[in-house]
Amino acid sequence: MSEEINPASNEGIPGWGGFKFGRRLGLQAAAVMAASGALATLADVSAAHAATKSGTIKIGFVSPRTGALADFAGPDAFVLQQIRASSYFAKGIVIGKTKYHLQIIEKDTQSLGNVAVQVTQELINSGCDLIVTSSAPETTIPVATTCEQYKVPCLATVVPWEAWWGGFSGASISPEGAAVGKGPKYNSMFFFGVPHFAGTFVPMWERIAHLTKANRNVAEMFPNDADGNAFRASFAPTVNAMFPKGGYNFVDGGAYTDLTTNYSSMIQTFKTGGKGGAQCDLFVNAPLPPDFQSFWTQASQQNYNPKLATVAKVMLFPTDAYALGALSNNIATDAWFTPYSPYESSLTGQTANAFAAAYQAAGHGQWVQSMGSTYSLFEIAIQALKKVNNPHNRLDVAHALQTVNYHGMCGPLNFNAKSPNPLLASPAKGIAMVQPVGVQWKPGSKDLVGHRKYAWSQWVVDNSLNKAIPLNGTLEPTNG
Amino acid sequence: MIWLNIVIQGALVGGFYALFACGLSLMFGVLKVINLAHGDMAVVAGYVAVFLSPRLHIPGLWSFLVVVPLFALLGYVVQRTVIQKSIDRDPFTTLLVTFGLSVVIENLLLEMYSANGQSINIGSLIGESWHPASIIYISYVSLAVLAAAVLVLLALQLFLSKSGIGRLIRAVADDQEAAQLSGANYRHVFGIAAAIAFATVALAGIAYGMMTQFAPTSGGVNLLFAFEVVVIGGIGSLWGTLVGGIALGIAQQFGAHINLSYQILAGNILFLAVLAVRPQGLFGRRSSLA
Repeated sequence: MSEEINPASNEGIPGWGGFKFGRRLGLQAAAVMAASGALATLADVSAAHAATKSGTIKIGFVSPRTGALADFAGPDAFVLQQIRASSYFAKGIVIGKTKYHLQIIEKDTQSLGNVAVQVTQELINSGCDLIVTSSAPETTIPVATTCEQYKVPCLATVVPWEAWWGGFSGASISPEGAAVGKGPKYNSMFFFGVPHFAGTFVPMWERIAHLTKANRNVAEMFPNDADGNAFRASFAPTVNAMFPKGGYNFVDGGAYTDLTTNYSSMIQTFKTGGKGGAQCDLFVNAPLPPDFQSFWTQASQQNYNPKLATVAKVMLFPTDAYALGALSNNIATDAWFTPYSPYESSLTGQTANAFAAAYQAAGHGQWVQSMGSTYSLFEIAIQALKKVNNPHNRLDVAHALQTVNYHGMCGPLNFNAKSPNPLLASPAKGIAMVQPVGVQWKPGSKDLVGHRKYAWSQWVVDNSLNKAIPLNGTLEPTNG
Repeated sequence: MIWLNIVIQGALVGGFYALFACGLSLMFGVLKVINLAHGDMAVVAGYVAVFLSPRLHIPGLWSFLVVVPLFALLGYVVQRTVIQKSIDRDPFTTLLVTFGLSVVIENLLLEMYSANGQSINIGSLIGESWHPASIIYISYVSLAVLAAAVLVLLALQLFLSKSGIGRLIRAVADDQEAAQLSGANYRHVFGIAAAIAFATVALAGIAYGMMTQFAPTSGGVNLLFAFEVVVIGGIGSLWGTLVGGIALGIAQQFGAHINLSYQILAGNILFLAVLAVRPQGLFGRRSSLA
């Protein structure tokens, strides 16, 4: 009886694809190996014949188009259209004596980890030579570990590197925040980590402390989930290690459950929990977007007005600011891509500003940060492919990805950077560091991008980590 | 003073829980239908308010004037078409049908409005509050929601005891076959009860959208709280719903005061305790369990 039902339910409910382990998975794996072997042989043969032949390189792209993380993938369609129009993708790339056509295959994770595994397997089965993925640990970790298991090159972004590294078996993060263990062989990524959050937020705290005589009590709103617990464990120690003279006193609001709707008890803690019963004038968090909205409106109702709110994971995208309305004024967060940076596409030479303006002109609404990182995924893929002799040799491609060093839409990225400054150095081979800037939400202006005014825009107010990006706004207290 | 604040904040949250639960209580009390799509209906009301109010040029605050009558109509139609057909079969069918409705609604909303969070913009009013004493701040919006809950329950009480249709609803709820023998068109009566239930859930959905952000899948969490309110207060008792809501709110605030992780847990413990000690609920009649 159960045998009659199970195969049908496996096929019928897409979300359940992750359960397809066991014998079927083994067969799939065998098929993949056989197919890739055959392809590699074909490619070798064609190269040996020394004539200008043609072939196809397939690049898989996995992102959360729908579901809770859909905001991250909002610009995907536009970015892919731009990428496909660029010369390598439109005309092909010559490697050795073969001209390869580049094909991008897109897959949606529905913001679910098990679907991410399933679509990655589908991409591998359809013969992808490399897979790129973006947006949050829930997407990138399942994709990266599946690729590692099947020995397929993979490049990830928009995930704190600590979370990504910790996703591989045998790899972990030391208490000092260093990469421990043998890293992945087929994976690489670019983004930043917990020290960069500290390096972006703390200089803003310092300036507000001088400006408004704010005290050094820092309210921490970290939920009881993967991101929240990681921040709870590492954020305060990282700040204290990087800024030993800061003298910050961290007040933990408690490990609340995601989607809690009432925060009056946490707000009470922040109002009186500082040293000597003082209010926490500084505020930091890493919540889900709806939880931040509930918290922030209730904080206003309960008259808790921190002098500066520096938030992580929320207020990244304009939709968050529109939802909060006037209460989003002067909330600060981090930005890994802005149209105000002096960077340009390595594929077309288009500037970051023109790129964002084109997005807005195409009717997609205000520019979003993730457009830059998604664009760079494909730039980096090209950089790596230019260095290999055979694009179907997976180890070669993976190795090339892990040693890319180039300038593109997200600025200079070096996947094997050596530096005494831990914020610039690669924690391990294959990890490139983006240097974020601090931004504040303020009413928009026609003078920003593409002469279009939006109700709320991000203004660059702190460039402590990346002096190349000019300031275009003044840091102001969240509640003056 | 801290304890007073816990009670006040708990009562304010409780007002919302009561408003949210009274439609569920009514549907169960009269139609004997456990509406698993109750939470999703509230979310739909939120979406209708968000996307209708700019088109009709009405401010978010007053969107309920349009959405509530619309939902009353919707309630009558859904009851007469979908839910009545399943009641005619057996109680399990209604469970399956409302569960199916819930899945369909969530996915339709995802398809139409994406997974982006939405909220009903009422301007700077959302952040304002009344400050009666040192640490006590009472949000105007929460106070208005509590007042709305009391008014709705009061109006329902009057409607059910004084009006002809109200008495008919009670008669059908007490004994459907006897009421039918006396000439009552129970299908129409059910439709009216569902209309009232949908109207109150629309009001609750709009209140939720003003207080926080909602997404297509936000209905489930609130449905759980609504069930707890109905069980704590007692099935079929309107004032029990208000007391149940406030009791749940205060229990959650009390738990949160001890440790924020205990906020939801404390409410669940109260729910289990009531279920163990007084299974008919604080205001329920033992016979209503049968």
